[in-house]
Amino acid sequence: MNTFVSRFAPSSSALPHSKGAIAVEDDEKYSDLTWGSQAGFGHLGTKGIPSFKVPSLADPSAFLRMHTDDYADPSCRIKIQHGTTTLAFRFKGGIIVAVDSRATAGSYIASGTVKKVIEINPYLLGTMAGGAADCQYWETYLGIECRLHELRNRERISVAAASKFLSNLVYSYKGMGLSMGTMICGWDKTGPALFYVDSDGTRLKGDIFSVGSGSTYAYGVLDQGYHWDLSDEDAQELGRRSIYAAGHRDAYSGNTINLYHVKEQGWEFLGNYDVTKMHYDGPGNVPGATGGGYGYEVRTAGRSASDADAIDTSA
Amino acid sequence: MALAQPLYADQHRPIQHQFNPYAENGGTILAIAGKDFSVIAGDTRQTEGYSIQTRYAPKVFKLTDRAVLAVNGFQADCSTFVKKVKQRIEWYRHAHSKQMPLKAIARMIQGMLYGKRFFPYYTYNILGGIEEDGTGAVYSFDPVGSYEREACRAAGAASSLIQPFLDNQIYFKNQTPAPGAAPFEPGNLPMDTVLSIVIDSFTSATERHIEVGDGLEMFVVVAPGRDVAGVQSLGAEELPALTPEGERIFVLRRDLKKD
Amino acid sequence: MFLTRSEYDRGVNTFSPEGRLFQVEYAIEAIKLGSTTVGIRTPTGVVLGVEKRVQSPLLESSSIEKIMEIDTHLGCAMSGLTADARTMIDHARVTSQNHAFTFDERIKVESVTQAVCDLALRFGESMENEDAMMSRPFGVALLIAGIDELGPQLYHTDPSGTFVKYEAKAIGSGSEAAQAELQDKYHKSMSMKEAQILTLCVLKQVMEEKLDQHNVQLAQVTQEKGFEILSDALLKEAIEGM
Repeated sequence: MNTFVSRFAPSSSALPHSKGAIAVEDDEKYSDLTWGSQAGFGHLGTKGIPSFKVPSLADPSAFLRMHTDDYADPSCRIKIQHGTTTLAFRFKGGIIVAVDSRATAGSYIASGTVKKVIEINPYLLGTMAGGAADCQYWETYLGIECRLHELRNRERISVAAASKFLSNLVYSYKGMGLSMGTMICGWDKTGPALFYVDSDGTRLKGDIFSVGSGSTYAYGVLDQGYHWDLSDEDAQELGRRSIYAAGHRDAYSGNTINLYHVKEQGWEFLGNYDVTKMHYDGPGNVPGATGGGYGYEVRTAGRSASDADAIDTSA
Repeated sequence: MALAQPLYADQHRPIQHQFNPYAENGGTILAIAGKDFSVIAGDTRQTEGYSIQTRYAPKVFKLTDRAVLAVNGFQADCSTFVKKVKQRIEWYRHAHSKQMPLKAIARMIQGMLYGKRFFPYYTYNILGGIEEDGTGAVYSFDPVGSYEREACRAAGAASSLIQPFLDNQIYFKNQTPAPGAAPFEPGNLPMDTVLSIVIDSFTSATERHIEVGDGLEMFVVVAPGRDVAGVQSLGAEELPALTPEGERIFVLRRDLKKD
Repeated sequence: MFLTRSEYDRGVNTFSPEGRLFQVEYAIEAIKLGSTTVGIRTPTGVVLGVEKRVQSPLLESSSIEKIMEIDTHLGCAMSGLTADARTMIDHARVTSQNHAFTFDERIKVESVTQAVCDLALRFGESMENEDAMMSRPFGVALLIAGIDELGPQLYHTDPSGTFVKYEAKAIGSGSEAAQAELQDKYHKSMSMKEAQILTLCVLKQVMEEKLDQHNVQLAQVTQEKGFEILSDALLKEAIEGM
């Protein structure tokens, strides 16, 4: 499939190379931007879009996959961090965004404190799933482009335009190995808006999305509890519970939950909740909490047939 | 002569590796941030396969008076990357007449790593130093640029041996305070405790990992005005600084087992 | 001043025998036809004021844009061929955002001024492989106001590509009289309110029409609020305080 794409891809992805010779572009030819007073400025290439070096090979994306794709070949050397389980849903009070915070490099837990919600600007949020660097880099870039839009047009960018910008950008790298599944969430003139954008070029407007290896577990809880007229507290609790479920069952998700609420005035960070603590003790005294832990054994202690003697009749 | 069609890894046939520009040179690096200091350390052994290439190949480099970069992975990519970072820092200083703040160096490193997203630098970077507000900071990066500010991080061959130890000793994970004692406060460890943790991490990693050993180099960056008697008494060498009243960097060297 | 004007003053890239680039100097002259613009720096911020020069009562004065935001901590006012300034300001905006993206920090005021001035000499004929250059120098001067770690700063840029830092500066048609007035009345420890009033007084002196909230515009940059163009209500208040 990828050879099909590379045969018909735009010429920018084709590279000059001589048959049999394997070489990288000469790094020594510096452009004007790297000399003199320009050198200390953060230039993103002559067209304002960052430019990337690609090895001069017949199939650069196969090279990249061979060395970095640990799903295909777990013994590959370069382990890139991946992120998992994120969700967002739209309801009458805005948008709830909930994510876990585990990053894995192969089967090693590289970090338990990754920020998978990227604060693009005070009224737009983006989530991170797939390659951590891809999401971090491109969503920060989206932030500055949104700001430029705001300065040039004297009004905030719409969520549709922001998500389209991102999806057009990653589409130009289609087939080259980017891995990104993100949700762009914000409140604009049309109300709360939620778009799913991924590195295949998909862009979908919707009310509920969950992305990542734990998304199936999150959907289970989310779909069952969702309706448009949820109160703010119930919606927050639903987001929290769904990520807990994914963190509990998916090995690649867990550690902590980060919860955000997008409202008309902008987004609000609600809190960071440890998944293990949610299991045993629950979130404690926060709006929407039904009290007690989320874990199955915790909620159903003393209620199974095998503890018939221990059943608490006052429960 | 046409190139033979490469066989893809997911087709479960023998894999023909045609262009393999990477090597693995072993070693381990680690960094821990204190309240007003930062320790960045790395062993000095360089290996390839079962051979030791050299007993002393530094992996930790001073960038500015307040920033130190530790690099590990494929040594050729690592040393070129450090050179490029140093060059960009110098250009910044000429363009903006000021020293680059630590978080600016961190973001710039992300851009430089991501610029090679399709032909990555095989380096795991850890940047340590003092932030503009005087606090100790550690930033860790993956090979293509995703980064995060943390209190501690180990990377390299023995990272899976050392990181769990740091989680317990620095973040106090899975520990409860003794009855009657005050609760733990991560991020407030005294410098001598942190240095002991670093040395213990490396000596233990040396025992259990073949690619770690020979020597240990620790860089300690301290905030301006901080008392440095503790570090100096351990035999540290101070690196020359641009401004005498600013941040200071000390280097401590220890031997590790050579077998 | 131009007594030795001769055949050397038509070519954009031609030096005269005395070593002058006449086209650049003529571009600086063009600024003197522009509307008056004033900038004043105080210990807590910078004030910018422009004369809108509303040519006709049918003209919607709110559409005249002579003060523009570059970033949250930077803004600028222009005088001269204001259309030329759009390119410069867009370049300043892009430079500022690129800097924030690459270094995760706000760009210094001097650095963004330098970036704008780097554009000034890109005129003439371009070679085949190069990016196209402008056909003539810019005909606009900017007063760039901003706040960074060195405090509030005001810079003046002109078509020659030079920039100079000022405590208080006036440019445009009434600049000579305005600059004299500023030299007289300015002192280093003004408050923002005093600076606004001085700006309006200076503009009133050099403007032909009677000053009111429709034919001037004020903006300021401070640490707390960043760059803001004063709303109609605040402008009216400042005028009444005169």
